[in-house]
Amino acid sequence: MRFFTVLGIVFYAVMIMVIGLALIVFAFNLLLPADINNLLSYAQSSNHSRVVIGLSGALLILISFSFAQVILGKFQREKTIAFTTSSGQVTISLSAVEDLIRRLAGIIPEVKELRPNVVANKKGIIVEMRVVLRSEANIPELTGRLQDITKTRIQEVLGVDEQIIIRIHVAKIAHDEKDSRKKKDFEHDERSTIPFSGYGRA
Amino acid sequence: MNRDESRNELGILRIHKNVIASISSIAASEIEGVKRVGRDLKSGLLAILGKKSSSAIKVEISKIEEVKVEIPLIIQYGYNIPEIANRVQENVRQALEKMSNLSIKEINVNVQGIERG
Repeated sequence: MRFFTVLGIVFYAVMIMVIGLALIVFAFNLLLPADINNLLSYAQSSNHSRVVIGLSGALLILISFSFAQVILGKFQREKTIAFTTSSGQVTISLSAVEDLIRRLAGIIPEVKELRPNVVANKKGIIVEMRVVLRSEANIPELTGRLQDITKTRIQEVLGVDEQIIIRIHVAKIAHDEKDSRKKKDFEHDERSTIPFSGYGRA
Repeated sequence: MNRDESRNELGILRIHKNVIASISSIAASEIEGVKRVGRDLKSGLLAILGKKSSSAIKVEISKIEEVKVEIPLIIQYGYNIPEIANRVQENVRQALEKMSNLSIKEINVNVQGIERG
């Protein structure tokens, strides 16, 4: 573990302990609101202490920012599929695989929306998809086709031999607005083609 | 160590890490199927601030002057990722060896995303 990460962890542990202790002291009535008020008033009274407090605040922000970057970077590194070539290592971010799957929605017209979540573990690559289908879709046939296409595409693009498990959750069957609008227009046109059709009614 | 350094009879030649990163970036972008070189938080912020040359390519130079490069990439949709990664590694290696005579230890490719071309 890098020195900076250890320093960050120790810093956060100490800060949380200090806050915890302050809360305990406050709960036991050892620290009165007036004392806090006096302390804050004293800190604000001189320019020197205000500068020190301001610089401490800026330092805290910088430490938090750097620490968050280290942690997030670590998480990002863990969420990858990796393989080694003669020149070095190639890591593919799982979000890249998700991007790839999301593009499949454009290939299959019956799929209106597709939200993938990819996990790589010992079992292989697990793809969970939440899909919104158009109303005319045959679900068993379509989901089977989607699974096949996704699996083939991942194998083709990533060139991995690992097992690929694809789980599909049909979240919604959307009513196609374009079709319904066309139908409405058609009905409207039909009605309008009959001249003086409404005149006979009382 | 921030720079690769070599000495000849006239003086010292130093190649800054940014130069290695720039060569790697250009060599990687030359490959068909590479949409662009990816970004990290730092380079993203620098790009917002108007520093166009900032790239997220990480360069490490060991004490024995071996270079390790880490390149984040965004690949175009429809291309085979391992093939593109391999070609990028080869092109970057060739470019660095040709332009700087450096000894390349590793060229690591990190595919961050896929975008339509």
